[in-house]
Amino acid sequence: MVRLVTHNLLACHVKGCTTNNFPLAFQDVQIELQEAEFNPEFVKNLIPRLEWGALADAAKQVGDTSLPPEEPDMMDDDLLQKLHHVLLEIHVIEGAMVCPNCKHVYPISNGIPNMLLAEHEIG
Amino acid sequence: MKNVTPTTITDDPQIHEDLHVHAIYDQIAAHFSSTRYKPWPIIAQFLSTLPTGWIGLDSGTGNGKYLPLPAERPGSVLTIGLDRSRNLLQIAQHAGGEAQSNIITREVIWGDVLGNAWRPGAFDYAISIATIHHLASYERRKLAVQRLLQCVSSKHGRVLIYVWAIEQDELSKRKLPPSGQGQPSQNLARGCEPGQDVFVPWVLSQPNSTKHNTQNVEETAAPSVYEAKTGAAAPNSEVYNRYYHMFAKGELTQLTHDAARGLGLCIGSPDGFAEANLRGIDIVQDGWERSNYFVELRCWTT
Repeated sequence: MVRLVTHNLLACHVKGCTTNNFPLAFQDVQIELQEAEFNPEFVKNLIPRLEWGALADAAKQVGDTSLPPEEPDMMDDDLLQKLHHVLLEIHVIEGAMVCPNCKHVYPISNGIPNMLLAEHEIG
Repeated sequence: MKNVTPTTITDDPQIHEDLHVHAIYDQIAAHFSSTRYKPWPIIAQFLSTLPTGWIGLDSGTGNGKYLPLPAERPGSVLTIGLDRSRNLLQIAQHAGGEAQSNIITREVIWGDVLGNAWRPGAFDYAISIATIHHLASYERRKLAVQRLLQCVSSKHGRVLIYVWAIEQDELSKRKLPPSGQGQPSQNLARGCEPGQDVFVPWVLSQPNSTKHNTQNVEETAAPSVYEAKTGAAAPNSEVYNRYYHMFAKGELTQLTHDAARGLGLCIGSPDGFAEANLRGIDIVQDGWERSNYFVELRCWTT
């Protein structure tokens, strides 16, 4: 699956593409919403692991504008709920992710992103 | 008794893996998955000790049986499954979900364990279970370990690796080439006995056979005993020979050391290093369990 928590970890790994290779940009995506159990402690502990700006921007690309563009100093329950929804309940089912640097396209099909590279692209 | 047969890699390692690993798992995915459901104790224990909120990678996740763990704290960590076999990933997407349910519960990624499709240090932990032994050269196995070391946090990352051992326990019922008659691998980790390159048969029953439904599958080690304990292939089954590099005693730990040194990492407890700004790994346990060698390590910085 490509939920936004996963998207926040992925970077382009084409040979030589080492700068400006994160975050990948969504293209022509179809999304599905699927409820997930809310675990506030999990979400709270996750925050230092995230690239907040990339997450807020990715959420915007799939039509969710609930997150502030910068990581807030204080995290209340309402914001944790929003974060939970953005990270874990939005599923990208079809479409692609494109490298901002080298424009390599990573297709997403049936919820599975294809991060395989051709032999000449492997670093 | 279907024997494990020695082999020598004469073609390009990557082509060898495509033919004798990747293509086969896509063919046998459903049947393979039906024999892989029970987590091994040390791996379950490792996942149970992770703090809530950690994110990890299961590199070579297969049918995703470790993705739902820890069983006693579901949802407390998030493990993302990577595999080369898309057919296995379609099963892994539903790992731990209700049978027949189409709800997708797991995060999976189609990719190669030698790939590096992450922000550096993006994960808190990584596991690679029964996977690195499918790589057909020493350099590729070393690179696979390096990818694990690179994808976890250099400050606190934890890594657990399992590979198949030459030394098999009696439960596995697998018949190995007599000692000395196997093919020592051409690509040795330095300073230890050579491992062995072998083919391990998987017998896939055709759909009109009821055999695999009635088979009493016993999960002991990777690979399962099932494929080895059938006799000569029945007329309606097909035999797939999967490539394995069977690890010798000490070889996995040596490989891990070589991989770490290749990345400029120190080896040992951080207490043993006085200098600032060093990066290293500390092997916290290694050993043999159920026909496999394993190594667990922690990353550190000073």
